[in-house]
Amino acid sequence: MGVLPAFRLLRPRSVSEAVGWLNYDRLAYAGGTELLLAMREGLLRPTHLVDLKGIEGLGSVEESSGEVTIGALVTHTQAADHPIVGARLPGLAGVLQRVGNPRVRATGTLAGNLCFAEPRSDVAAALIAQEGEVEIASPQGRRRMAVRDFVVGPYSTALEPGELLTRIHVPIRPDVRFVYVKHQTAERPALGVALSVNSHVSVVVGAVGLSPQAFEVGSLSALDVAEVAARVEVVPDLTGSEEYKRHLVEVYLRRAIGRLERGE
Amino acid sequence: MIGADVVEIAPVINDREVFLSVPVRMTLAEMLRDRLDLFGVKLSCEMQVCGVCTVLVDGQPVSSCTYLAADADGRRVSTIEGLAEGEQLHPLQQAFVDHFALQCGFCTPGFIMMAKHLLDRSPDPTRDEVVEYLDGNLCRCTGYAPIVDAVLDAAGRLRAEP
Ligand SMILES: Cc1cc2nc3c(=O)[nH]c(=O)nc-3n(C[C@H](O)[C@H](O)[C@H](O)COP(=O)(O)OP(=O)(O)OC[C@H]3O[C@@H](n4cnc5c(N)ncnc54)[C@H](O)[C@@H]3O)c2cc1C
Repeated sequence: MGVLPAFRLLRPRSVSEAVGWLNYDRLAYAGGTELLLAMREGLLRPTHLVDLKGIEGLGSVEESSGEVTIGALVTHTQAADHPIVGARLPGLAGVLQRVGNPRVRATGTLAGNLCFAEPRSDVAAALIAQEGEVEIASPQGRRRMAVRDFVVGPYSTALEPGELLTRIHVPIRPDVRFVYVKHQTAERPALGVALSVNSHVSVVVGAVGLSPQAFEVGSLSALDVAEVAARVEVVPDLTGSEEYKRHLVEVYLRRAIGRLERGE
Repeated sequence: MIGADVVEIAPVINDREVFLSVPVRMTLAEMLRDRLDLFGVKLSCEMQVCGVCTVLVDGQPVSSCTYLAADADGRRVSTIEGLAEGEQLHPLQQAFVDHFALQCGFCTPGFIMMAKHLLDRSPDPTRDEVVEYLDGNLCRCTGYAPIVDAVLDAAGRLRAEP
């Protein structure tokens, strides 16, 4: 049995208390679906886990001034089942219903997914395509930034040690048509393609490379799938060779366009 | 040094409240097996992929291999040991027997707990829903078809119960 390395547990009751405790060795802990695995593998060695689950006010989903706000403690299941997400962000609800397996969805949070910045993230690809933003708390105050800028690279985000992601904001855009397709043979996706279309087209290709990659074009007819498949950065791994992954990108992008055109 | 390395917890395990003092690094699976002798909880991949350690916490399925025992404080934990009523098997257990939905049996508690959660929230699932819901659990004996049959049959038996 793989025993977890020793650490101490801190249980803040507020964001300011948490932020006062977090640092390079004291890591935020939500569902633990990534963190505990990384600790067991010896990849992360925090002295303390700062358990966010007792913080009041981070567990809700709310709608105001044209956006949906998802607290840092909201799990994939809670978000997917939430009536506001279902009504305002049905595309995102569909993505969350298919993350990993039901156990990961029941304990893992959207915020934890973004903060871990695992390259094979459906959540990051979908939220970038939907122009989502994150709200970050630090001892200096609060700031807001686009998810696109937050995810810097593999396992790397714009979070500084001691900062906390408190909320995710997603704009409500009934004028935007959104489709997400993924190819998955095991728990994590081998490829995810998000397509957002209104006056311009935004394509986000996730999981095949080191980070989700966004491509913008003026219209669907101007979208050259072969060109996207040729330009996207791919890293060969156990889910496929470079050639295979480029092929997947092209096929799934065509499927995404097909679904959009059929109004699915 | 700040922070706790041992915590006192009071979870309700299979309808019985227990009081335990656990190291914070102890997983729920370790607690259930080593402290409470609930050996129906198995361990295998310890990466949330295989599903053999599945238990329900406040009705939600979790991989107890990567869930801290400390987090079970005040929560209701259900394991396979809590399903039967005396000698009377739970309809899911009986359906697994009737459909030969196990051979070595190692994955069975995890499958049954996952299926319990599925049927609790969706009493009349389609075959596709069952397959999709259980695709995070691995079985190397049965080829899955009898497991899906058993879950669908159990769903019918549960719906027929008064
Ligand atoms: C078997 C498996 C399959 C998966 N399949 C998929 C999939 O198909 N698609 C997909 O997109 N994802 C998938 N995932 C990833 C999953 O979505 C994440 O593991 C989960 O959402 C992480 O959330 P958490 O609350 O458990 O984070 P934790 O493990 O608690 O934390 C993860 C990291 O983020 C930090 N952190 C957490 N919350 C905050 C915060 N609020 N502020 C600052 N830092 C924070 C922690 O310090 C840690 O470094 C899978 C994971 C597993 C284990």
